[in-house]
Amino acid sequence: MAICTGCSLLCEDIEAAEKDGALTHVKNLCRKGHGHFQAAFTERTVPMIDGEQVDLDRAITKAAEILKSAKSPLLYGWSNSTLEAQAVGIELAEKLGATIDDTSSSCQGILMERILSGKLPTCTLDDVRNYADTSIFWGSDPSSSHPRHLSRFSYYPRGEKRQKSYEEERTCIAVDVRKSATANLCPNYYFQVAPSGDAQFMEAILAVLEGKIPRVGDKKKMIGLGSILKKTEWGVIFAGLGMVYSLQEKMDLFEKLLARLNEITTFKVVPMVGHYNMRGFNELLLEKTGFINRVSFKDGKPAHGPEHSVVAAAKTCDAALIIGSDPFSALPFGTARALAKVPLIAIDPRRSLTTDGAKVVIPSALSGLEAGGTGVRMDGVKIKFEPIMKSDLPTDEQILTRIMEAI
Amino acid sequence: MATEVEVTVVTMRDIFQDEAGRKSRFSDEYRDQSAQIILDKQDLAKLGAKDGQKLRVLVKNDVGSVVVAAKTSEDNPHPGLAFMYNSPWSNQLVSDAVSESSIPGFKSIKAIVSAAEEKVTQISEIQARIKG
Ligand code: SF4
Repeated sequence: MAICTGCSLLCEDIEAAEKDGALTHVKNLCRKGHGHFQAAFTERTVPMIDGEQVDLDRAITKAAEILKSAKSPLLYGWSNSTLEAQAVGIELAEKLGATIDDTSSSCQGILMERILSGKLPTCTLDDVRNYADTSIFWGSDPSSSHPRHLSRFSYYPRGEKRQKSYEEERTCIAVDVRKSATANLCPNYYFQVAPSGDAQFMEAILAVLEGKIPRVGDKKKMIGLGSILKKTEWGVIFAGLGMVYSLQEKMDLFEKLLARLNEITTFKVVPMVGHYNMRGFNELLLEKTGFINRVSFKDGKPAHGPEHSVVAAAKTCDAALIIGSDPFSALPFGTARALAKVPLIAIDPRRSLTTDGAKVVIPSALSGLEAGGTGVRMDGVKIKFEPIMKSDLPTDEQILTRIMEAI
Repeated sequence: MATEVEVTVVTMRDIFQDEAGRKSRFSDEYRDQSAQIILDKQDLAKLGAKDGQKLRVLVKNDVGSVVVAAKTSEDNPHPGLAFMYNSPWSNQLVSDAVSESSIPGFKSIKAIVSAAEEKVTQISEIQARIKG
């Protein structure tokens, strides 16, 4: 069995083989996972300097030169690399006195911080399968983003205490600004919130739990929601980007809601992490520095703050190494523009807007397909994997180690 | 002057668009799946779209602009609210001026929409803008 690195579910039951440059005998991969692995056969990168193809050694030497001569380099990406590669990356940042940040910085970071520090109660997805009778998809849409989430864990499967599963025992609730694919599965329990209205909706739930009249939403429906929550034996909230972006500085309210729910029954939170090893990076950096992201080693000691976030650091860095990420596609225009102005080193298995704009491109093996290692699932479970096929391409870990040796 | 509609754009994900982007950021498939805006029925009608008619629109704000295909929402009425898939097209409109949490407003983009004659913005144009 192989592991899919297409999203942070890290599905462990994948069967696949490679024949003549294509995947064959594929079983259990969802559409997203299939696209993810298929990418290895299209749009591959080759080692390049200034748009000219070079050999790998030259690209690595050039990358080391750029980083060595930079005064404030930024190392960004990380959520599509193995724990082993991330560990070398953090070491490299320390050695260079660089700023290091990952995709969580503009994504799930503020939620992950609270989960890893124990401020929000959490659980594994296996607990969800075994015990959950209420699953709330809040600002998350696994049918689109984590296609096997509902079938492996959160809605359809039978579990230790949930033998009657979705037919009788599990209720799924969607809270979203739009009727997403997931909300369509639970039309009776779809609660529409206004954009940036999640905090208000939380206040409304807190009100109905106190027996008060809620200020937003259909009153009858809100009171109905209150009684489902009270009757829940074991509930879980799958918090997605919709909620995180909407709450931002008001994250404390989410803690308050969870605390209140846990006075009544059991309620947990699972962060709907996108990339397969974002959580791994956050855990590793936390262990090494006390912070989950946005760290600068400029003065030797790790410093943390918004000024070290990718959005801010893109404007102040004088060189950047981007690994397994495509900020030119995924970050605001101004951030992409700022990064495009400095010498960029892109380590990636496949061509992207960022590799196209990089001074140095270093091709790497695709984790899961061509490289083995360890990833951390969205719920914190560590998953080890072996590659599906042989490859001559170096892994992220090997590339970073060689860059470090050359500095 | 062409009619303009003010909207807040919320970005979202889609499995087909995601799959296309994983396979290639440079394919026509990825462009067609990404360069879209989903508008409320009434808002789309204000821009001059007759029932079922395809319309291209210019979406612009202080950060940038893109020409994308407009589609009607299947959801309940939501005038002033629009949806785009998270992509290089939507990110042309996202400001890097951030709030205290330093998270860009990917899901609350203020923009103005109007009917457009031009072709849909190509990925090569986006690359050229980023390069500057
Ligand atoms: S759900 Fe995620 S990990 Fe599982 S097969 Fe699909 S993309 Fe891969």
